[in-house]
Amino acid sequence: MHKEQIQLERLLDLLVLEASEQLSQQEKQELNSLLDLFPEYTSDYFHKTTALAQVGFYLEDDFNNETLPQHIRKKTLYRHKKELGQSTTSDYLSNFMRTLFYSYKPQYAWALTILMTIGLSFSMIEFKGYESNVRYLPLKKMVMEITAEDLIQYPWYSRSNDLESISGDIIWSDQKQKGFIQIAGLPMNDSSKNQYQIWIIDPLKYGQPVDGGVFDVTRTDKAIIIPINPKLKISKAVAFAITLEQPGGVVVSSAPLLLTAPKERPKVSI
Amino acid sequence: MSQCVGNITEVRKEYLSPMSSDNTDSILKLIAKGEDRSFNLLIEKYGNLVWSIGRKFLYKESDVEDAVQEVFIAIWKAAEKFDHTKASEVTFISMIARRRFIDYLRKVSKHRNLQSIDEDNGQELFKESILNESTDLQLIKDAIGTLEIADQELLNLSVYQGYSHSEIAKLLNIPLGTVKTRIRRNLIKLKGLFDTKQRATNLDLKNA
Repeated sequence: MHKEQIQLERLLDLLVLEASEQLSQQEKQELNSLLDLFPEYTSDYFHKTTALAQVGFYLEDDFNNETLPQHIRKKTLYRHKKELGQSTTSDYLSNFMRTLFYSYKPQYAWALTILMTIGLSFSMIEFKGYESNVRYLPLKKMVMEITAEDLIQYPWYSRSNDLESISGDIIWSDQKQKGFIQIAGLPMNDSSKNQYQIWIIDPLKYGQPVDGGVFDVTRTDKAIIIPINPKLKISKAVAFAITLEQPGGVVVSSAPLLLTAPKERPKVSI
Repeated sequence: MSQCVGNITEVRKEYLSPMSSDNTDSILKLIAKGEDRSFNLLIEKYGNLVWSIGRKFLYKESDVEDAVQEVFIAIWKAAEKFDHTKASEVTFISMIARRRFIDYLRKVSKHRNLQSIDEDNGQELFKESILNESTDLQLIKDAIGTLEIADQELLNLSVYQGYSHSEIAKLLNIPLGTVKTRIRRNLIKLKGLFDTKQRATNLDLKNA
């Protein structure tokens, strides 16, 4: 292949990388050198295309129901006000606290106690609001069990001697691209060190099990229900597995299987 | 309990109303003029989109939270640079968002997705409104539709799901070189198709 063609292909590869990932220092230098050779190209050559394609795929993704959480909306508006130099509630509170400190009188201690209690209550409400979706998971699981026409359901089988007392099951619908796992007896994990990861086996479409999300076990007094939201479209799920991985999970697992459902991976004929 | 941003019916009415020819209704124009509540409108209209993009790049909840706030501030600061003759509003916003999220990746390591609890809250109305409003998006959708299904899926994994080339190679069990070549080829094709159609659209508008 002609040298110029090779350089052009390398330039385009780097421009694609630049639009999607981070370039290393060496790659940035290489890109700049190649842009000097081909001045008709610019470093943002694919920016518009990739941004538009991303939004295009987002619009087509019927299973993406992500919404901006209310507390993030509030934080963003608050930050905007700070940028504008506008007073915020915390400014008033800071002024009040300053006044309190410099002109302390015992009766102000009661006012301070009341304010702190109110503040703590608000923060707890915020936290509870964030987690309150968890309350509806049993209901959602039940609804899916009733309404999904192609529902599959398997009990969990332990692959480790340490997890003999595990019980629970998994339900999944290819049509809905959703599922739930219910498990009791899984040990609590330290999310700063590791997290459990769900895998979906779809051998007709993918050469590797598909990431179904990571989760933490924060209680052992009762069964937990975790929704599965696969990142990739599943054509036909035939089995599921759970491993313990690094925080955030991995793309391809080399960790030992902890649980599988069903016990043995079904044979699939094409 | 819905955590949807904004009242869907009112927001949809506003989105689907035709924009004036000089684009004075653009939220970015309103921000540039310093109109009251324009920033609120920005978040109401594009909050879900920006959040969704952020969740694809950065899976740790705290990282997405920080980055999304930075994105909106960046969009606000760049609003006066918006030129509707060069790109649609959603194009401008998604370019800034994407750029910021990729830059944010430098600061944090990318983790896989956390447990996400989805709510079915009429997102399709938001999506429909954005699509109806933007010629750019219609053009890119048409262009994506001309690609082979396997190539669409490859691009989806790369530009939408946020997988790196090496991750895609592992996931689909195909050589890394093949992944790079196919993505490059498809992006070049998409860009070419989009640029051609956009020129044709602009010419039609000019001659109308």
